Amino acid sequence: MSSQPGRRSVITGIGVVAPNGTTTETFWKSTQAGTSVLDKVTREGCENLPLRIAGEVRGFEPADLIEETFLVQTDRFSHFAMAAADMAREDARLGRADTVDDPFAVGVVTAAGSGGGEFGQRELQKLWGQGSRFVGPYQSIAWFYAASTGQISIRGGFKGPCGVVASDEAGGLDALAHAAGAIRRGTDAVVVGAAEAPLAPYSVVCQLGYEELSASDDPARAYRPFTTGASGFVPAEGGAMLVVEEEAAARDRDVRARAVIAGHAATFTGASRWEQSREGLAQAIRGALQEAQCAPEEIDVVFADALGVPEADRAEALAIADVLGSGATRVPVTAPKTGIGRAYCGAPVLDTATAVLAMEHGLVPPTPNVFDVCHDLDLVTSRARPAELRTALVLSRGLMGSNAALVLRHGTDALS
Amino acid sequence: MNSELTVQELTALMKKAAGVTVDAKDMERRLDTGFSEIGLDSLGLLGIVGELENSHGRALPTDAERCKTPREFLNLVNSSLMAGA
Repeated sequence: MSSQPGRRSVITGIGVVAPNGTTTETFWKSTQAGTSVLDKVTREGCENLPLRIAGEVRGFEPADLIEETFLVQTDRFSHFAMAAADMAREDARLGRADTVDDPFAVGVVTAAGSGGGEFGQRELQKLWGQGSRFVGPYQSIAWFYAASTGQISIRGGFKGPCGVVASDEAGGLDALAHAAGAIRRGTDAVVVGAAEAPLAPYSVVCQLGYEELSASDDPARAYRPFTTGASGFVPAEGGAMLVVEEEAAARDRDVRARAVIAGHAATFTGASRWEQSREGLAQAIRGALQEAQCAPEEIDVVFADALGVPEADRAEALAIADVLGSGATRVPVTAPKTGIGRAYCGAPVLDTATAVLAMEHGLVPPTPNVFDVCHDLDLVTSRARPAELRTALVLSRGLMGSNAALVLRHGTDALS
Repeated sequence: MNSELTVQELTALMKKAAGVTVDAKDMERRLDTGFSEIGLDSLGLLGIVGELENSHGRALPTDAERCKTPREFLNLVNSSLMAGA
């Protein structure tokens, strides 16, 4: 497990399936415009559950994108992941020809918070409705957290280091660190990210016990972190997959390094202990900065976790100030996820994709539905803010107590 | 439902249980081609065995899910169904 010095991880491909866009282009267009797509829950069987508002992925046709043999044995969360992985590979121009000679040079890592609830529910209904003989054998793989990693690996023929990170919502960032670790140890490329499909009846019922879940039935008011109207978070489906490569390997393929994964750290402060998450998040930020050899004042933009629970919002605002400074030295902070909801492990990977796009476009996207900020934060609201962005910080916390921070650097720095 | 399992029915089950599309006439001509080559994995075959057991209301021999080719599978299933008819 020895690390090889000088092996840096760069992002060369991005694939997104999100409520506000099922391609990276439409996702960025809606995100930078600050469009909110939060809406009434319409997924079958969910209409009468007490969760009223969510970020649904609509207009996604898995049959157009994924072979039937893979569709029958997978849940919607894996459909999102496979489709996003295809887009990321296409974006990175990582085709069969690049991997067929050395399939062990490419790995797969995903993070998952809930697995395949819709598939699992269907088979469990057969179990209790018709009997055990009517449960299909693919139940044995489809609803597990590991399903998306396995299917992407089989479908792409990737035989390098594969893994699944199950460390709460912040696991989306931990998966990226896991991929960077594989690359330091010698792997050339990792297809990495997270996608979730928590909007099916069984999955929604599992979430109803979260005290942080928004009970609002107004799409414009359901998820407003950092305001006095904060009343919890809105869940979402979808996520993002990235191609992360060793810098020199990407250069050899003549593929652009869109961003560098410069630093990461994670901490744990306990389920729903939001006040304590201040210190945990601050410590994660310090760790990520240290690994990135990045001074606090170098951070040009922060993608906040933005849970929407007053105590959690306060803790995050204080953690940012604790490490990056407050008052006149404030850094722009944004939370584009208020327009699409929180896709659990998919959320911080979507934020990472947005951070890369924001650095490329020199534009901090706004925080939809949020207007009157009641914390000492320079939160970007209403419209995107032009800015030269060379370094971005992405933050994430999970309901069960994980905190993580990721530092990204602009791609052109990598090759200078 | 004690009639013999035909190639046509097998291809329909492959489609239903495993999402594998094979032309029945095509398969008639190459009954010795391995399931793995056709694209049917072991869980897919297990699903087909389950479907047959449910539709016939009886168990098939455990060897059924270990068959490697359509011919092997058809022979085993049909001799088992005939024996019990």
